Amino acid sequence: LPYRSPVSMAMRQTPLTCSGHTRPVVDLAFSGITPYGYFLISACKDGKPMLRQGDTGDWIGTFLGHKGAVWGATLNKEATKAATAAADFTAKVWDAVTGDEVLTLAHKHIVKSVNFTQDSNCLLTGGNDKVLRIYDLGKPEAEPQEIAGHTSAIKKALWCNNDQQILSAADDKTIRLWDKNTKEAVKSLSFDASVSSMEYIPDGEVLVITYGRTIAFYKAHSLDLIKTVDAPASIHSASLHPDKDFFVAGGDDFKLYKYDYTTKEEMESYKGHFGPIHCVRFSPDGELYASGSEDGTLRLWQTAVGKTYGLWKCVLPGKFT
Amino acid sequence: MSGMKTPVSVLRLPRGPEPNSRGFDPTSPRFIALCPTTLPSSSSSSGSADEEEQRLRAELRERFLRTLLLMTGKRVRFDMHEHVRVHARFGASDIDVLNLQVCDLETPLGVQREALLRSQDVIACSFEV
Repeated sequence: LPYRSPVSMAMRQTPLTCSGHTRPVVDLAFSGITPYGYFLISACKDGKPMLRQGDTGDWIGTFLGHKGAVWGATLNKEATKAATAAADFTAKVWDAVTGDEVLTLAHKHIVKSVNFTQDSNCLLTGGNDKVLRIYDLGKPEAEPQEIAGHTSAIKKALWCNNDQQILSAADDKTIRLWDKNTKEAVKSLSFDASVSSMEYIPDGEVLVITYGRTIAFYKAHSLDLIKTVDAPASIHSASLHPDKDFFVAGGDDFKLYKYDYTTKEEMESYKGHFGPIHCVRFSPDGELYASGSEDGTLRLWQTAVGKTYGLWKCVLPGKFT
Repeated sequence: MSGMKTPVSVLRLPRGPEPNSRGFDPTSPRFIALCPTTLPSSSSSSGSADEEEQRLRAELRERFLRTLLLMTGKRVRFDMHEHVRVHARFGASDIDVLNLQVCDLETPLGVQREALLRSQDVIACSFEV
């Protein structure tokens, strides 16, 4: 097992609860590390996505404008732009510093997923009309490029492989890898169950997928399977630590599970949420992970329990001083 | 065993949303450093053009709100999607103009005493001033 400090062994995890949403939190995303720290955006069925300081969970602002549940939310690396996908048939781009709405991109059905390219110049959207769309944010009036092929609603669409390819997961129980230029499907994976979440780790080109009780890891270029791990309950979301030593997962039984990625052993499980967990992501520095739940809250969890970081303060128990 | 563990201390809880503000504090170091050049605005680069646009937007907004006031109690024709056209007496709009409260809504299925119309379904309204 990876080394766990005496402090971690003696301390009980104190999750930090971020309140403010009034309905289930269905998606969350971190920015990269900026000169002002890193940031977190949460998508909520109340239609009001929120921006928070990533290491403390402090609320910064609420993006107001959507007229329906927000299903997907993302930030660009620099946390200067945000994008959201909603049940009001629009995706919106926001200035993440001022909170102003910058663009509304009309779609023909519920939009579920939004993702910026590394340079923030293009936005990928996917949703219930089964079509992937690529918007050039420098020419917002222009028609988006479209990629069709999925036979059911798209749940998640991500840029990958240096923004040259696109990964999409849909209710047709497939994950497809597309070439962004030819718009052809390069590879495809089929599953017996619907894929509940997808995470792409550029460093190392790893794809993390969840379906049923399974957390599966694939090579993003080839879609070759690396390994699978089965959890005690149905899993809705999982995230791999940047150093690839741990991963966390959460789902139907309200608990967060922490696993050793190398040995696949369950290391810890944490109770705290009062409803199923819909999304979980590691912060860009790996020091914490955030979970969003049906209970309407976001919770922040320490990777190294007891370490001084953000709002957590290391107070050593007597025998370790 | 886990009951014997000490819970990790926290300095405070994460701050929640302010009740009357959408946030994005303009006095924060990040806002001051990154604005106004984070994203190009929809129109021009000069301050006075922005002010002019703001003035026009405010004027249009005021006209819209006054129209809503004027519509109150009047019999209004609502042109909606799918070639639907109905008449009703307009009562009020909610604060986000998401729903329009009407009474005596004349529909092909009969007259609805009280109803809510979703604004997003309405293309146009007309009434006698």
